[in-house]
Amino acid sequence: MKNGAVANQSEGTIRRSFSISTKSSPLFPFFIFVGFFLIWPIISLIIRSFKGNENEWTFANYLPLLHGSYFHAFVVSIKLASITALIGAILGSFFVYVIVNSAGPKFTSVLDSICAVFANSGGVPLAFMFIAAFGTEGLFTKFLKSVGWDIYAGNFTLFSFTGVVLVYSFFQIPLMILVFKPALQGLRKEWSEASINLGANSITYWRHVVIPILTPSFLSAFFLLFAGGFSAYATARAMTVGTVPLVPIIIGTLVDGNVISNQTNLGDALAVGMIVVAGVAMSGYLIAQRRANRWRAA
Amino acid sequence: MRFSPSKIATITLATLLAVLIFLLPLVAASEYSFRGAGGKGHSFINYQWLVQQDGFASHLLTSLQLAVLSGLLNLILMVPTAVLLHISLKRWRPIVDFICILPLIIPVVSLAIGAQVSMPKIVQNSQYELVFFFVIIALPFTYRTLDTSLSSVDLKTLVEASRSLGAHWITTIVRVIVPSIKGGITGALFLSFALSLGEFTITSLLHWDTFPTWTVVAAQQNILGAIALSVFSFVGAVLLMIIISTLAVRKRSASISHIEEVIA
Repeated sequence: MKNGAVANQSEGTIRRSFSISTKSSPLFPFFIFVGFFLIWPIISLIIRSFKGNENEWTFANYLPLLHGSYFHAFVVSIKLASITALIGAILGSFFVYVIVNSAGPKFTSVLDSICAVFANSGGVPLAFMFIAAFGTEGLFTKFLKSVGWDIYAGNFTLFSFTGVVLVYSFFQIPLMILVFKPALQGLRKEWSEASINLGANSITYWRHVVIPILTPSFLSAFFLLFAGGFSAYATARAMTVGTVPLVPIIIGTLVDGNVISNQTNLGDALAVGMIVVAGVAMSGYLIAQRRANRWRAA
Repeated sequence: MRFSPSKIATITLATLLAVLIFLLPLVAASEYSFRGAGGKGHSFINYQWLVQQDGFASHLLTSLQLAVLSGLLNLILMVPTAVLLHISLKRWRPIVDFICILPLIIPVVSLAIGAQVSMPKIVQNSQYELVFFFVIIALPFTYRTLDTSLSSVDLKTLVEASRSLGAHWITTIVRVIVPSIKGGITGALFLSFALSLGEFTITSLLHWDTFPTWTVVAAQQNILGAIALSVFSFVGAVLLMIIISTLAVRKRSASISHIEEVIA
């Protein structure tokens, strides 16, 4: 009775103290900040992408995206994102498998921090490091040449599509390790024991338990890598100088002022186009994520 | 006993692959960065060149300053928000959850163009506008870090205890809740700090100069110097992250591993 009263009273005070501020008003700073610095820029961007030079409404900015070089840039960007996401996803899951099964907790945490740096290294330093290793005068290039394999004998250059794929893998694989590891760690020992008790061998266990459980996590990670690779700017900017037509780079050039005067709003349309592509990928991510979480809730 | 032959084989394969993909570029870049004049012999001249460059110290300072500011702003904005969402405003969580994933959906390039279109002159005229956008870019990571760390604490009991002892709710937040999610807060702080330090895209598209964008300019004059610069930034970042993660492990709530949960 007495305890109940105290509990009631304390709950009452909590409610009262927070009720002054309830109805979301304490969240105002957050909503105002996000509204002004995230939502408002995007809405303005979308509006301006539908405006012509005379401020009239038009769809004309989007027409160049549907064919020719701008369309091609989207194709190349999507191709680059898919290939590097696939390489990252496959090699990344292999590393995760090894880490989860062999590394101790301390080593795993060090690996985590290293992966976090590598995954976020999609910047300028990365480009120069690869030039040092795989450029025409690169250390590794020279080593391979000395053992009789000239990687520059064919069409390869670091500043080509293949070169960019190579460099992007450098941050896609560690990102996959960070994203996919919890899924593999979430596999319960009981599941493998149960299936072995039911007479499964390890192949059946993988085919009927592990792969179905991990597929949604794998797909969601793939979509996330795709969105990251699709939007990446810094590395490609430092490396390619326009040799590979990628949408973010083209937008960058437009922003830097090399614009044909009647195409000022083209950059806006391209930027909205990027949101659409990344948005589709992230919807895939969210859907796959929802399925993956089913196993984690229990 | 624990390591069967096939296991040793996979570990060896993984190590070889990791060395090939991740260590080689680093080693090659390090070797180049210690080359002497004209690429002959070995010396520290590239690093000396680096430090003597006009922009080196000033741009590094700018970047550090922006990173500290965005880390702090992130905490001021997100700690109360995340705490309130856990205590009294649970209904708003789905909305905030969704908003906080938006920066992952919207390419930074698009956000940069949008910022150019929409920001008032007074904001665009100061390099401190970057702080706001760094906070936005770090939002998915910091919010999830705080959220995970708040979920692991029995907030209801803590708040009730503190309130029934007569504490004001501001006292409750500052003296009870904040200390109990210290790990999450340090994690969030350093995540946004690290992200801001290396941010290139929005900085360059909004035509500001920080350490990463200055790197590109410096690279045009001296490729060996640029490689030294890359090694410097990269090794610096790795060391920073390792220090943070060991600190965080000691404080039990890991910071770096929260990145996984952002996405997981």
